[in-house]
Amino acid sequence: MAHPFNLSSGKSVRIPFNRTIVVFVIIALLTIGFSFFIPVKWHLIRIDQLWVIFSRLFTPSHSRTWGDYFSFMLTLGDPLLATLQMSLAGTVIGCVLAVPVAVLAARNIFKSKIISIPVKLLMNLVRTIPTMILAILATFFVGLGILSGIIAIAIFSFGIMAKMLYEAIETVDMGPFEALESTGANKIVAFQHAVVSQIAPIFISYTIYIFEINIRASAVLGYVGAGGIGAVIKNNILYNYDRVGATIIVMLVVILIVQFTSNYIRRKLQ
Amino acid sequence: MNERVALAYKQQPRKWIANIALAIIILFFVAISFTGSTINWYRLANFSQSFNTMIRGIVDINWAFFFGIDGFQFSEGIVYKTLETLAMAFLGTMIGAVLALPFGFLAAVNVVGKKWAKVSEALLVLIRVFPEIILAIILIKGFGMTPLTGVLTIGIHSIGMLGKLFAEAIDNMDRSSLEALDSVGASTWQKILYGIIPNIMPDLTSVSLYRFDINVRSASILGIIGAGGIGAPLLIAANNWSWNMLGTVLLAIILMVLAVDFISSYLRNKLV
Repeated sequence: MAHPFNLSSGKSVRIPFNRTIVVFVIIALLTIGFSFFIPVKWHLIRIDQLWVIFSRLFTPSHSRTWGDYFSFMLTLGDPLLATLQMSLAGTVIGCVLAVPVAVLAARNIFKSKIISIPVKLLMNLVRTIPTMILAILATFFVGLGILSGIIAIAIFSFGIMAKMLYEAIETVDMGPFEALESTGANKIVAFQHAVVSQIAPIFISYTIYIFEINIRASAVLGYVGAGGIGAVIKNNILYNYDRVGATIIVMLVVILIVQFTSNYIRRKLQ
Repeated sequence: MNERVALAYKQQPRKWIANIALAIIILFFVAISFTGSTINWYRLANFSQSFNTMIRGIVDINWAFFFGIDGFQFSEGIVYKTLETLAMAFLGTMIGAVLALPFGFLAAVNVVGKKWAKVSEALLVLIRVFPEIILAIILIKGFGMTPLTGVLTIGIHSIGMLGKLFAEAIDNMDRSSLEALDSVGASTWQKILYGIIPNIMPDLTSVSLYRFDINVRSASILGIIGAGGIGAPLLIAANNWSWNMLGTVLLAIILMVLAVDFISSYLRNKLV
């Protein structure tokens, strides 16, 4: 393949080595290697069951009518409110707590590595722990209920926000900061007027984005005892598929509304 | 001069009043959000003691359980479960990427036009917002409580985000090489093979690597409902408050996520 060939001008050209083949071989090897961990048990696969479960989720069960199906949706107000409460309180608390940490981790504000490296390590550790596990751990300390959900979501939001915000602070234009310092302003005043004004819209936009993620996450947090919509699904999953289906529909509608509102606000902020 | 500055300073819009009002409103809502939350005071009173027990347990790693030796079967050990989780995330991402490719073309404005791109985009949004756990609950009925269900869940769920980002990559593609190929009389297949694929490949790989990163995290919780991976031992340990088991599982998850994070961001930096 790699033999050179001559152009009419007498120049000899070598076809460059194509790395795509190497990448494909690596991907193929990884795929084969990993497939050993995913045994396909043909006797367990019942594709037709998928249609059965779909019809049982999205049509009323034998003893109920469509009226029951839709009136059940109306009773979901309380768990829905609990889900919204968890997400809102958790997001705001976590995001606000993340601000000082993000400032500490940003290398352009604090020059020393002694502060920024441990802070970054802590941030990465927090982000690796799944929200569900945080919720279970929180129930150990405060018992079952919304509060454990709030704590879990707050810690999760803290992890993401601290990381995204410190990256945003590090890319801030430091010109105004230096200009203010050169006029004799002390560091705190310079930070307040030069950095905060650049970061504030980004912070708000990120907070809304994290709220959006948390709404989706809190929908399933009920699975581990944190209340809200997830609890309704868990309580009905064994016998009342139609109720689970109705809950899923309501949940999707709420998530879509939150998503569109958040997209709209974030576009306005830019 | 100074007077003019002072005047301008006085006349600047008083934004802070609005800001404080907004802050108060948000604080009010946050405060309201705590109504209805109950605290188990008995547990909270023992906070320092229980926190101590928890931390001491979590640090006490059960290595036999970790490696799946000494009375533990290897296939029940955490190392095996971690590899299974990685396998779920990897194969799921592969399936998602392959399935997302046609969606990417169907949602790209410069391939199918504005109207159809909107339709495909709406479908992708629907896939994206459908909670993964719910999808897994549905798929378990068809594919059983096996890691295969986890792979399919991750694959289907990934289509939503990958399809959207693929479409963006296709939309932002440099079209001059396509024109060049056109001018030398290349066939449609040749145009796709030499004009489109090399152009969008780095973007697609980078996006897929990013999604793999996310999928490792979601693969590690899918086991909670029985869809394979490290989530099952994680849930059992956490629900039983058996702290050293939990510590063992968490150690594996933390190492796995940090390693994948590092490798994926390294490869993505190399691609760009």
